[in-house]
Amino acid sequence: MASAAEPVLLRGVAHSYAAVQALGPLDLEVAAGELVALVGPSGCGKTTLLGLLAGFLTPTAGEVLVGGARVRAPGPERGVVFQQPNLYPWMSVRENVALGPRLGGARKAARHAIADEQLARVGLADFAAAKPYELSGGMQQRAQIARVLANDPTIMLLDEPFGALDALTRERLQAELHRVWLGSGKTALFITHSVEEAVFLGTRVLVMSPRPGRIVFDERPPFAPEERTAALRADPAFVAFRERVRAAIRE
Amino acid sequence: MSAAVLSSPRARRVGLRALSLAVFLGAWWLVAELNVWSDLFVPDPTAVLDRLIDGERTHDGIRGLSGYYLHEHLWHSLWRILRGLFWAILVGVPLGLLLATVGPFRVIVEPYVTFVRALPPLAYFSLLIIWFGIEDASKVWLLFLAAFPPITLSVLHGVRGIPRRQVDGALALGASRWQVTRFVVLPSVLPELFTGVRLAIGFAWTTIVAAETVDGIPGIGGLAWETKKFQQTDVAVLCIVLIGLSAIVLDQLVRALEARVVPWRGKT
Repeated sequence: MASAAEPVLLRGVAHSYAAVQALGPLDLEVAAGELVALVGPSGCGKTTLLGLLAGFLTPTAGEVLVGGARVRAPGPERGVVFQQPNLYPWMSVRENVALGPRLGGARKAARHAIADEQLARVGLADFAAAKPYELSGGMQQRAQIARVLANDPTIMLLDEPFGALDALTRERLQAELHRVWLGSGKTALFITHSVEEAVFLGTRVLVMSPRPGRIVFDERPPFAPEERTAALRADPAFVAFRERVRAAIRE
Repeated sequence: MSAAVLSSPRARRVGLRALSLAVFLGAWWLVAELNVWSDLFVPDPTAVLDRLIDGERTHDGIRGLSGYYLHEHLWHSLWRILRGLFWAILVGVPLGLLLATVGPFRVIVEPYVTFVRALPPLAYFSLLIIWFGIEDASKVWLLFLAAFPPITLSVLHGVRGIPRRQVDGALALGASRWQVTRFVVLPSVLPELFTGVRLAIGFAWTTIVAAETVDGIPGIGGLAWETKKFQQTDVAVLCIVLIGLSAIVLDQLVRALEARVVPWRGKT
């Protein structure tokens, strides 16, 4: 089946909360290894779309397929990074990151090895034994990303993970996420309300219209993943693309 | 005394408390000494102290007060409270979890829990005595009934207060329903459970005199209740002080346990 290889396929998907149509109907295909950045104004249904992919919500129309299978409930092959820090304070950072493998039945030594590897990847090796509330907001978000990577999902769903951070931390984490994503080879859907962030991270940038959310812009920024460095932000081509995305949002 | 000791906030707090206690005891002693009211109304502090000493001695062949040493009275009451609490936690926690997770169950059962919570324990004590006899069983039942509603309701509120994303996060990591309960729901309820247990201990102490009005010797509540027969106000005051102090000590122990078990409380 051709669609089995397709990490994400949405067909005629719509969602309503009571009488309010929040999303769609929309169609979307995401290829393996893409980092799709979805940008749009508040309340346009971005988080609803992510909820449908994660399986937290059920579409009121259409179908959501991930890896060729219809999404019916949350599952470990779809990792979610939440906007607010979402680590469990009764577990150490290492235990948090090891939770996915633990739920899957991995033994202690094995799951701690996985957790330590992912913590090292996001630069938190020294904080494995700390409690989440001892970390800064940015570090907690890095730990959340490590937790999702430790579960080795086919797709990562990130819901404005840096939305609550200060601008400097935010830029640093964008670069870090980009590096981690590049090394992982994973497909990712990154939701944000920052155009700059979307253009910097996305291999493909989608713009969503106000409610009911539909995709009104869908293009690939003309930079290779390896070009995403701090210098890129000042590049005329970057600025030009960013302004086109801005214009698409304003329409 | 060095200035450093005085300026430490902890030392200042302890000092202030000691000072207020000294002022209170001094005023009490003065009122008793000047015979403002008769000894029957305001017993002399030294008389209360004498009863404390009597309580641990054998005199005229009789042990302590009402045939038992004071520490025996206290221990029997504490033991009843601990048993009542044990059952309250054993029943109250699962009941709270059921109320929080099974909608129809809550619709039916929550009013009953609220109903029991609203009742003054003495209202149903005579029924308990008829059902379970005048010995310890009816007392433990009474303490259980006083203690379980706050535990159940705290667990219920604890579960309801869990952020949706904490449950979703576990589900997206592959957790089953049971795993969500074990790894997310139960630990997140712990802080509220401690609040409930502390409330329950408070209710149990306030109920202990009622529980020990019938066949309550040995028991500190029973002893307090008996003082009305011979107008032993000094013993009554002694019992009040001991009950109050024991409640404070037990509460401090639970708080210390809480700090160990729920170190994240107030930090997230």
